[in-house]
Amino acid sequence: MASSSCWRCLLRPQTYASRPSAFLPSTGTTASPFLSRAVTPAIPFSTSSPYNAAKAPAKGGNISRVQAGPPRRGQKSLRIKKKSPVKATTRPPAPGERKAARKRIVLSNTNAVEVQGLKELSPETMVDAQNHGQVLGIPGPVVDQLRAVEAFKTTQAWKLFRQPSTLQTKQSLDLAQQVAKVTDGENGKRTFLRKILTGDKASGKSVLLLQAMAMAFLKGWVVISIPDAQELTIAHTAYSPLRNTEPKQYVQKAYMSELLSRTLRANQPVLNGLQLSQEHPGMPVPLQSNMTLARLAELGAKDADLAWPAFQALWTELSAAPANAPARPPVMLAIDNLAHVMRNSAYRDADFNLIHAHDLAIVNHFVKHLSGEKTLPQGGAIVAATSASNTPLTPTMTLALRQIEARAAGTPEKDLPQPSAWEPVDERVKQVFAARGGIDVHTLSKVSREEARGLLEYYAASGLLRAAVNDSLVAEKWILAGGGIVGELERGAVTMRV
Amino acid sequence: MNSVRIRACFNNIAVSWSRHPGRGINSAWTHRSILHQTRCQSFSQSAARTGIAAPEIDFSTNEQIRDVSLLERVRVIPASPSYFTAKPDFTDSFLSLQNIYRKYQTLPTVQPGHAPRVSWKSLAQYRLLVGEPVKAAKYHKVLQILGRLNQIHPSLMPEEVRREIDSYKRLLNAHENMPRERTGDGFGRAIGVGRRKSSSARVWLVEGDGQVLVNGKSLTETFPRLHDRESALWALKATQRLDKYNVWALVSGGGLTGQAGALTLGVAKALLIHEPALKPALRRAGCITRDPRRVERKKPGKVKARKMPAWVKR
Repeated sequence: MASSSCWRCLLRPQTYASRPSAFLPSTGTTASPFLSRAVTPAIPFSTSSPYNAAKAPAKGGNISRVQAGPPRRGQKSLRIKKKSPVKATTRPPAPGERKAARKRIVLSNTNAVEVQGLKELSPETMVDAQNHGQVLGIPGPVVDQLRAVEAFKTTQAWKLFRQPSTLQTKQSLDLAQQVAKVTDGENGKRTFLRKILTGDKASGKSVLLLQAMAMAFLKGWVVISIPDAQELTIAHTAYSPLRNTEPKQYVQKAYMSELLSRTLRANQPVLNGLQLSQEHPGMPVPLQSNMTLARLAELGAKDADLAWPAFQALWTELSAAPANAPARPPVMLAIDNLAHVMRNSAYRDADFNLIHAHDLAIVNHFVKHLSGEKTLPQGGAIVAATSASNTPLTPTMTLALRQIEARAAGTPEKDLPQPSAWEPVDERVKQVFAARGGIDVHTLSKVSREEARGLLEYYAASGLLRAAVNDSLVAEKWILAGGGIVGELERGAVTMRV
Repeated sequence: MNSVRIRACFNNIAVSWSRHPGRGINSAWTHRSILHQTRCQSFSQSAARTGIAAPEIDFSTNEQIRDVSLLERVRVIPASPSYFTAKPDFTDSFLSLQNIYRKYQTLPTVQPGHAPRVSWKSLAQYRLLVGEPVKAAKYHKVLQILGRLNQIHPSLMPEEVRREIDSYKRLLNAHENMPRERTGDGFGRAIGVGRRKSSSARVWLVEGDGQVLVNGKSLTETFPRLHDRESALWALKATQRLDKYNVWALVSGGGLTGQAGALTLGVAKALLIHEPALKPALRRAGCITRDPRRVERKKPGKVKARKMPAWVKR
């Protein structure tokens, strides 16, 4: 029976080497005595490596040197077997799976004890001074809204408790009163609050921002939130120049569509009740005249190309005062990690210069409202929180905040903090804070011992702190938390519990 | 030279002693002779030789020779019978010590543990002094007598005993070196200094309500790690005084762990000024003893203190 393979393919290397040299190609050609014409193998075949090696000295190499095989006197150098790379036996994580696990927010722990008699945050309780120093639970619908605007952070210990709850500090009470005041209006006119939350690391800036958003949701506001300003400026999302803008602005379509989607999910009930009241020539697609604002937001959320015009249209609608329609609700703009938008972004323009973060369209929108250049006729607030852990150096903003604080404390102009001669001044950032004033800088103070006691009692009631909450325990935890840094209090009492 | 000096020849004397085998060095005769000799005890080598060996015979003066009998001229007797113990100086001093003890053993003593603490000469120092290879066990017996003599009530201590005891004391008595008593500064501040690894901390402690400033910063700013914060204030936490004092501290050198450890000791020392009775509690909490460990030095031929370079084939 004839084999389908040629004889050469069946040879093993050693047998091949020991064959008479007559069978070997004696010159550089591949001519074989058995073949009528010289052939070159089209496909290199693995078992015929000596054959291929024999081809190599075509340029006049020594044939005897080429005949492969181990050296007669054995290997002279030490041969250490290389470790083969370890083959993973498990399934590798799917794209995005790791990030999803990293960003996962767990807001309930069914093993935690349900706190008996826990009051819930409501328009009434949030302004009630009697709740000062107590923990209030966030109602379920608001939790969903807050989750939609990504107000909960992975570094916070929500996953340990049955229900997301926050401490009513003096500052949150003040903020709640201000939110209530804006909603109710003064002399029939609503104001537009501009607040910046600063403070030590883990002093509760992001949570106060979350409380502000929760209050806004409870009061029926529309909340538009940038949960982490860093995402806009570190060049991780696509950008493109915006036509007819001077200086040139850049729009981040994908991020805008995400933002609209989050805004829609969080504000669905409010936006569903509002209808278009104006023409929007900027929209590339025709809009129905009786379209709801939720539908408008959905347009932008679904199509990234429509996201920016849809956002602009939505904003126009929200700031309009329609004559024959229900009044527009106040709007809260929230932005966390503010320092990232107070400097150059990592994006480049056509000349490869760094783009200032204020030239990014959505950042510009927020900054204009922060500076007071733009405002909302029906009132609202912009609340910006700084970060103390992941924050770039922004000397101009830091100085401006210190100056505002000093002015608020009654320091005369000549004694205000002065800029350092060695630090560059960012004129655009300087203008934001200098232009109109009226920005309220809110430095978060440390919690008092009474507030700490309320928090520790809540931990104990949740079954996470197994100790009698007495004066000595409160004092110990409070002192070890740097004198009332609320995040450290949480770490010392709950998160780092052994 | 008409003056010929002869010295007591050991061989001759050995022969003479061998004729009286019944007389051991501990015989009654030896003791008696020592008792009768009021030889001043001397510890120096040359003085010992003059004290023990017989005086040299000077043949230059004929009168002297004439008066001395032949036997006495030929047979030289050592000044101390302990000469033949091979450790004559030690034996003599030990016997004199024993004598003194017997003489004064009836004197009233202080209660055990109340005698003044004395650091006696070490064995090596004592050997140097007597110039003889004294065994440790023998010196131990000396020390036992000395300890007993030291227990004699100080008000009744005879001068003779005092002089004897003093010759066995070290020049510097470590037990007299008492630590300086620390006090506050009159404004209610107590300072304590603590060290750990290469950090050192100065801590000022005042009565207060639990405020802490380290290098002008709050505790959380100085020590982001909870463990470090706890160890920095461990002395106060272990004694449940966290909210009774305010801490103002300066700490420098080393890393965060070392600085926290230095603060532990500093706070404990300052706390002891306010409340000395807390010392046992603080010792139990491990806040009294300084941790002497430092970074081990790098050695030549090694990559670090212990790590050896990787093996390379040629």
